[in-house]
Amino acid sequence: MTPELFQPTNVIVQGITGTHGKFHTAAMREAGTNIIAGTSPNKAGESIDGVPVYDSISSIQKDMRVDASVIFVPAAFAKHAILEAIDASVPLIICITEGIPVHDMIVIHERLETSISVLIGPNCPGLIGPEGLKLGIIPYNLTTPGSVAVVSRSGTLTYEATAGLTERGIGQRYVIGIGGDRIHGAGFVECLALFESDPTVTSIVLIGEIGGKEEIKAAEYIKTSVTKPVFGYITGLSAPENIQLGHAGAILGSHEEAAEYKSQKLSEAGIIMAKSIVELINSVS
Amino acid sequence: MLLEYEAKNILKDADIPVPKGVLVDRASVLHDYPFVLKSQVPTGGRGKLGGIKVVSNQIEFEDSLTSIQSLEIKGYIPSHVLAEEVIAINKELYLSLLIDRSTASTTLVASKSGGVEVEDNSDDSFLKLPLNTTPNFDSVGQMIADWYDLPEKAFLLSDLIEKLHICFQKNDATLIEINPLVVTNKGMFIAADCKITLDESARFRHQEWSSLHQQPIDSNFVILHEDGNVATIANGAGLAMATIDAVHAAGLIPANFLDVGGGANEASVLAAFERITSVKSVKAIVINIFAGITRCDEIAKAIISAKSKIDTLPPLFIRLSGTNSDIANQMLDDARIERAHSLAECVESAKKVMA
Repeated sequence: MTPELFQPTNVIVQGITGTHGKFHTAAMREAGTNIIAGTSPNKAGESIDGVPVYDSISSIQKDMRVDASVIFVPAAFAKHAILEAIDASVPLIICITEGIPVHDMIVIHERLETSISVLIGPNCPGLIGPEGLKLGIIPYNLTTPGSVAVVSRSGTLTYEATAGLTERGIGQRYVIGIGGDRIHGAGFVECLALFESDPTVTSIVLIGEIGGKEEIKAAEYIKTSVTKPVFGYITGLSAPENIQLGHAGAILGSHEEAAEYKSQKLSEAGIIMAKSIVELINSVS
Repeated sequence: MLLEYEAKNILKDADIPVPKGVLVDRASVLHDYPFVLKSQVPTGGRGKLGGIKVVSNQIEFEDSLTSIQSLEIKGYIPSHVLAEEVIAINKELYLSLLIDRSTASTTLVASKSGGVEVEDNSDDSFLKLPLNTTPNFDSVGQMIADWYDLPEKAFLLSDLIEKLHICFQKNDATLIEINPLVVTNKGMFIAADCKITLDESARFRHQEWSSLHQQPIDSNFVILHEDGNVATIANGAGLAMATIDAVHAAGLIPANFLDVGGGANEASVLAAFERITSVKSVKAIVINIFAGITRCDEIAKAIISAKSKIDTLPPLFIRLSGTNSDIANQMLDDARIERAHSLAECVESAKKVMA
């Protein structure tokens, strides 16, 4: 992922005619994101607040270039929607949808490996980027421009951390929610690489949780490849074993997936670890 | 997790050999003894706890059935008892398919020593083979046959693994574990025991699941401690986890995890109150909302209405922030309901009530 990927000129919304699609299209435009079109299989030719609706991405591409797509379609149709965006070589795909079957995500993940597309999500709040870029559902009024980059698996903790930073007068260059599913697109490591490569980013905030080993991979990556200061917090310190807590991915199987173990590994890698979200917000400098 | 007989029905439909079996009860009359009676509970390790018995005649059958039916295994009383033919075993192997997060793939796991002691096997006795969505089953079968030291069975294993892989995908399973995978004295493979778990997210495309033992799990409301003294309500999985962490760190016992979700409204929050007040040991409720899509005024409405509707409501410690929090906080002030500025303040106040 390069900083250029996060400066899309032309953004589309897949599922623009649904309740969420419509509502968040308006909010994204209000923030300053240039939504040029949307898709909806049965409503081609209509328009939503002046944004034209097409039947497919390839139809849009006959008229315009597409740099990024935000997906709001229901879980049952999300696999098709993501694959459509991959087939159309859309460079940046954000999928907000929660509850996509894991076998669908395996197929998608495999297709991404041989594609130029980058997927953020699913089951994520999307991202805030430089210069009024809002792709997804993060409330824009919580953010303020600056040089901190935030990456998180949890939506609400992202909001909380961002709002806390804004309140302290610390602005953000990126706020990225990578999503709470077991199998998803870009992970912590890809986001860390982006933040390290973007000279406008001065420090990094990483919020993890129980389940999976992505935070451990992040710790290893930071040790070898990140020079900027990283501030971290892992939630779920008191989580029970083998019980899913909300997110499909938030389930504690082995002890390497526990919050305490992850916190320790990140701390050993030189990350300044907080014990609560408030402590995290106050630690960032 | 499915019950064994349900899992075996799924294997049978996929043309994977399983022992002949039938569900039995007190009225059953069996012929062609012996049989194995197996307690149908959604957990492992039942053999060592007396949940599996071989019976050689009708009297033994009736005795053993009675004891198995009343035997609790890890908190489960069996809903059914399965009677199966006794298999002539030559070898017991281990074979499973599971979802591996780190490789984002279906992964095959094999060990040449299967059976009840499989958990004692060392890690390097397991071959873990990530499969792509369209594997070359000939070469997979060859590799597994070599791993089992059964090179002559490569063809049979290719066929078995291909059927298993199709079965895994078609059923939206997250685990199919065959343990033991028996090689019979005639050299055939048979799935002597099987565990299957299904992906709850895929329930919308499996109407047939409605009759299965594994019923929808509500991962947004989880009882953590039956004797918990602090109940929690939060929105978003991460914030809900952070809330129980804060309660726990203060030396209090969180009763539950509760994520009211992004679109929380008065009705859903009221329902949440009713669920958590069912835990009798709860002496305080911490409410921690950071509203993005959610509107704090909806939450405040629910709090005010819960206060008037639920007589036994324990003290509330409330922090509302984000969308419409100023309106919500005014509503609470007008209703003379105390509120806090932070989660830390909520937890500190809750601690004082406990003291």
